[in-house]
Amino acid sequence: MLETELATKFADYAEARLPGAKNAHVVSINRIHGGASRQTYSIDLTYEDATGPKTKGLILRRDPPDSLIDTERRVEFAAIKSAYGQRDLPVPEALFLETDTAALGAPFFVMGRIEKGDPLNPFKIEQVEPHRAAIGEQFFRHLGSIAALPVEGSALAEESESPALDQCWRKELAYWANEIRSNARNPQPVAEAAIRYLERNPPPPAQRLSIVHGDYRTGNYLQDGEGTMTAILDWEMAHIGDPYEDLAWATDLLWCGNDQERAAGLLPWPEAIGIWQNASGCTFDPAAFEWWSLFAYVKALGIWVTSEKAFAAGDNDDPILAWSGWFTHCAHELMLAMRLGPKHGAGA
Amino acid sequence: MSDIGMILDRIGRKLVTEVAPKLEGDYSAGHAAMSGLMAVMAGEAWDNAADRLVNEIAGIRGLLALAGQSVSVPESSSVKISQLTEERNALAEQLIALQAELETSDDAAAKDLNAKIWMHLMATAMNRMPTPPDFPDPED
Repeated sequence: MLETELATKFADYAEARLPGAKNAHVVSINRIHGGASRQTYSIDLTYEDATGPKTKGLILRRDPPDSLIDTERRVEFAAIKSAYGQRDLPVPEALFLETDTAALGAPFFVMGRIEKGDPLNPFKIEQVEPHRAAIGEQFFRHLGSIAALPVEGSALAEESESPALDQCWRKELAYWANEIRSNARNPQPVAEAAIRYLERNPPPPAQRLSIVHGDYRTGNYLQDGEGTMTAILDWEMAHIGDPYEDLAWATDLLWCGNDQERAAGLLPWPEAIGIWQNASGCTFDPAAFEWWSLFAYVKALGIWVTSEKAFAAGDNDDPILAWSGWFTHCAHELMLAMRLGPKHGAGA
Repeated sequence: MSDIGMILDRIGRKLVTEVAPKLEGDYSAGHAAMSGLMAVMAGEAWDNAADRLVNEIAGIRGLLALAGQSVSVPESSSVKISQLTEERNALAEQLIALQAELETSDDAAAKDLNAKIWMHLMATAMNRMPTPPDFPDPED
């Protein structure tokens, strides 16, 4: 669908959904890089209602022919709703969810646009300077705050299964093992060995059931260049589970420029963990972290082989999928092999 | 550098340094930059691909021989990447099964062979790792 056609159809849709709105027009629409799992557009909408003319900045997230991750947009929408307005979290407002393809040719949802901030490239994390410490404090505080959000009664709990505390790891491992086995175009000996290792060495039960963002990391938040995180984005892998999953993913080496001295490349580890503990109410457990940090590599490989498959099949020709299926897959496979090999007597 | 590696390298650099900046503000700018980056990496990988696969194949065949396993996977009749990949993949499936079996044993010989498999997997992962070229930021 051409962007001009999309704009016209979106204006009609928004006019019908906004209370009392008339004369709705899309005055600008730009496709932006807002996560490879959905087509993301920044839209300026003007309309009139009983109080006069209005202008709204919106983000439209529309399902593509294929994506990095096969998730239901209703889960992402529910996760954003669950976090919006809670505990000082910078989360956009979830506005409309449309599962019918009639309006725009594919399911979509619409969020309010957060006007200030840009994503930080995880491969150039040094660009956060001179605000590394300030962003790091917010990064781990918000991560802990997400873990502390109430699950019961949340919008996400209505859309997502709540596993038992001792089954969170099993559910996630089974899901990502299946993704790897269903989508890999080549045998995956490192991933397969990791899956067997994680099955034989389970983590402690979750300390609590939490809303898990699922992809909380540098690259998936906005920051204003003045030391403030302005938005937490890309909730498409959100689910209910063990908060250590997010902590391990957020501090994965790939997202922190291989900086092993600072958690997520942002803060010294003890400081980062202290902030996360205070905000989450969890107590740091090295055994749990060890398991979930290995699991993070397996999950990453699951995402990357799925990306590669979609690109190779021609379902989605966004070059980011080729990059994911090649470079990031190699990086995580190498990191995983270097973690697991020594556990089996190989090298140091 | 092979000619094809050189061609991919030059195309990639042109995309990143000349085409992508001209598309700034358009969604396709990111596509051009990412495509350019990967073209440069592909040039490097193209030169190494057959050598890397031949080494992976030899490594796996050696490990399966150490385990005393009979290997029915035929040797490739050429060094075409597609044929070598097919051979490597068939052998890798057998390696996965062997490693899973070794992990169930407390036998010292089994542990030693498993350690050797991990050495192979670590070396393979290192050799597969592409090196992204470092382009300066436009503002630098």
